[in-house]
Amino acid sequence: MTTQPPDAFVTVRDLRKVFDVSKPWLERTIERAPKQFLKAVDGVTFDIRKGETFALVGESGSGKSTVARMVVGLLPATDGTVMVDGISMTETANSAAREKLRRRIQMIFQDPYASLNPRWRVQDIIAEPIRAFNLLSSQKDIADRVGELLTLVGLSPLDGVKFPHQFSGGQRQRVAIARALASNAEFIVCDEPTSALDVSVQAQILNLMRDLQDRMGLTYLFISHNLAVVRHMASTIGVMYLGRLAEVSPAKEMFRNPRHPYTRMLLDAVPDLGMSGRARIPVQGEIPSPINPPSGCTFHPRCPLVMDRCRAEAPLAIDGVACHAVQEGRQSAMAARKSA
Amino acid sequence: MTDVPIPTLRQRLNDSDLWLSFKASPVTIVAAFTTLLIFVLAFFAPVFAPQDAFNPAALNLMDGFTHPMERGAGSNMLFLLGSDAQGRDMLSALFYGTRVSLIVGLCSVGFSMLLGISLGLLAGYLGGRVEQLIMRVADIQLSFPGILIALLIFGIARGIIPPNKHETTALFVIILAIGLSHWAQYARTVRASALVERNKDYVQAARLIGIRGLAIMARHILPNVMGPVLVIATINLALAVIEEATLSFFGVGMPVTQPSLGTLIRFGQQYLISGEWWILLFPALTIVILGLAINLLGDWLRDALNPKLR
Amino acid sequence: MTQPVLSVRNLKVEFVTRRGILRAIDDISFDIAPGEVLGVVGESGAGKSLTGTAIIGLIDPPGRIAGGEVLLQGSRIDNLPKEAMRRIRGKRIGMIFQDPLTSLNPLFRISEQLVETIQTHTDMNAQQARERAIGLLTEVGIPAPEKRIDGYPHEFSGGMRQRVVIALALAAEPELIIADEPTTALDVSVQAQIITLLKKLCRERGTAVMLVTHDMGVIAETADRVAVMYAGRIAEIGPVREVVQHARHPYAKGLMGAIPTLETAADRLTQIPGSMPRLTAIPKGCAFNPRCSEAFARCFVERPDPIPVGVSQVACWLYKYGKEAAA
Repeated sequence: MTTQPPDAFVTVRDLRKVFDVSKPWLERTIERAPKQFLKAVDGVTFDIRKGETFALVGESGSGKSTVARMVVGLLPATDGTVMVDGISMTETANSAAREKLRRRIQMIFQDPYASLNPRWRVQDIIAEPIRAFNLLSSQKDIADRVGELLTLVGLSPLDGVKFPHQFSGGQRQRVAIARALASNAEFIVCDEPTSALDVSVQAQILNLMRDLQDRMGLTYLFISHNLAVVRHMASTIGVMYLGRLAEVSPAKEMFRNPRHPYTRMLLDAVPDLGMSGRARIPVQGEIPSPINPPSGCTFHPRCPLVMDRCRAEAPLAIDGVACHAVQEGRQSAMAARKSA
Repeated sequence: MTDVPIPTLRQRLNDSDLWLSFKASPVTIVAAFTTLLIFVLAFFAPVFAPQDAFNPAALNLMDGFTHPMERGAGSNMLFLLGSDAQGRDMLSALFYGTRVSLIVGLCSVGFSMLLGISLGLLAGYLGGRVEQLIMRVADIQLSFPGILIALLIFGIARGIIPPNKHETTALFVIILAIGLSHWAQYARTVRASALVERNKDYVQAARLIGIRGLAIMARHILPNVMGPVLVIATINLALAVIEEATLSFFGVGMPVTQPSLGTLIRFGQQYLISGEWWILLFPALTIVILGLAINLLGDWLRDALNPKLR
Repeated sequence: MTQPVLSVRNLKVEFVTRRGILRAIDDISFDIAPGEVLGVVGESGAGKSLTGTAIIGLIDPPGRIAGGEVLLQGSRIDNLPKEAMRRIRGKRIGMIFQDPLTSLNPLFRISEQLVETIQTHTDMNAQQARERAIGLLTEVGIPAPEKRIDGYPHEFSGGMRQRVVIALALAAEPELIIADEPTTALDVSVQAQIITLLKKLCRERGTAVMLVTHDMGVIAETADRVAVMYAGRIAEIGPVREVVQHARHPYAKGLMGAIPTLETAADRLTQIPGSMPRLTAIPKGCAFNPRCSEAFARCFVERPDPIPVGVSQVACWLYKYGKEAAA
């Protein structure tokens, strides 16, 4: 039985998800192919403090969205535990407590065009959690609460009677945020909440999310592929690569002093809008298929600091970094090359 | 913040793509008008029909075989579309016959929709063995012509129901037979759409707050899969009317006491060789016009609801 | 000054719909010089992709070019017959799209597609064309091109496929390349490689590039000049450093502030209220006026045309009448 560290609100321990991606039984039998498994998430561990934003960054196939869906309980974990405020989401015992917890955990999805039912009026979309958890009983109270929520996210209470298609992408994402807040959620998992939006609208939504966090003490798990957005939102950042956490560091620390070679590479790949002319190491290679990941440290084919040990042995996370080179103190070699 | 005004119902109608595309298509307007006219005349047959056509007391045998546009020898009444052997006004017979045909068509479409949508939703949302079972049955059914299945069901029903009740139960039996022969198409369409909708985030959002499967299917997925279903339903209405006519033409459909368009055609073809062409022609023409109009409406609906053609 | 490779003069594109005629591109003009990369940025609905489509003559009904001219090396191409335009595409104008799979036929080997393109536009024989194809693949950084050339598109990863598309676009040595969101579908780490490659190859060959994207970072890295589009018009066009660091048009200014960067960790991002108008409801006067914090009376009645401000061209009344008029 896992226990939570005293200051943690959300605790994720050794979370794993294996998908069976085998071909259908008949084809497999004819071709005599073995079953194939995809380790989408392969042992992820982190803690989130109350009121903080923890960001998971990574490229496609890193498993960050899978972690998000396991944390909210939309996807059963193959192994590992998720605990929120002392209650386990993954253990089957004590399901009554877990049901209660459900109200306090909500999610904001990537595509606001798909996350709102196109046939429902906005007021019904926002009221659904209120009704589902029996938070208010009279129709008038519900209508008042919906109006209040719409105002909170910067829409007008009169907008409730409209349908989602009458709104722009940014306004729809506001509606989705209002829905997430409708059940008085404390922990909100945001899966790429702005990557489908235009930049000027993205800024509105990010600002809104920060304002709401300050006002209501919300805790966010923020999933994104965009390091600049993460830098703006997160207090702690976890960098994922092929289902594992490469590095977990406080945000400021990570941008000032990235430790894992993959983190450095990601930072160097971000286009330089300030045109500061900062020195950058060109990025090499592409993410391998997660079905047959490289041996040892999965990053080794792309790593500038690779050595034999990395090919054979997967590094364990020590002090937030899973890298043999860092643990052996060889990362200074890379910094030297960078300044050269 | 929001610059979108709240539209009134009238504005919403004026602004809807459905209405705009309807206005833009003269063929559709004609088809809709024709369909509406046939529906009104059929359902208010007692009001519009010049004669109470299937009440033997209202017929005059002396009027038999009156040509179209001529007055009957017995009653001196004007027979616009002529009369049959018993002096029955063909125009009135058409009104009543169309009414029976449409009742059978609408009810059987409703029945097959209900069955197909429920099974399709279950298959699409639950997946697994339930899906396998439902979809394989649908596959088997779709590999036979609908009319054969209808005939089979009709035969079985006749075997079970005592002969003295055949006449009173005929309407229900034929609705059941036609309905059961069409559900698979709905089930397939609904399942395919439900599979797509099931993975959309609004369904995930509903799962997240603990909404149960049945409620998700009924309240979230169902409204979003109805578009293609309505298109199929429209086209199937024409099919069902024709299928009923075929069954009645074979003599296994509606009885003589409640004739449908198909029954009228069966009568009519006996007289074709002796020269009384109108008894066959007008019911046949009605079926063709009705089928064409409904099909055109269905085509328009399909195009109007297809976002790619907008 | 040398003749521009591409000149667009007062281009207008319209869509005829059931709701009336919608003007998606409204009177835009720009030039691209040989070897220059012009970035075209804008949010969705700004008309940036449509501009590219209009230039290569691929606008399908109900869309149509409603006015203006497109000149390639000084001669008009917007009024050419379909067949002549088809020869220009691929030969003189190369194209790179967001999804590499739309440019590559999944049923043919990479070699067949490259050789066919090369042979259509040059008089090489099959052997020469194949050698040239291998040379191109080497240039775009595909490892072991002699082996990979006979692979099918699905055997390549996303980044490698986009490299093949670049090779295909360069195959006929075009004068102009139109790249529409070439890196949007790719991961950050691959995106940087593709941008660098595209820029290097075009510089070496002196090919002009029109780079259409919503990603300001990509533009800042790649472009020489940048045009910021809003609601079918060019709000500001100028050298990339000017526009990125000293944007003048209130929209361009807001846009730059709204982009979170690695360098600045501001607590709040600048935000522009509202969103881009739909084509059915473009405001009178300057299309940006409902969202503009500096709008004054004139902005609501008359539409501003681009005027020179410093080295840029800016379509904003503020720069014609000064801030005093606004007060």
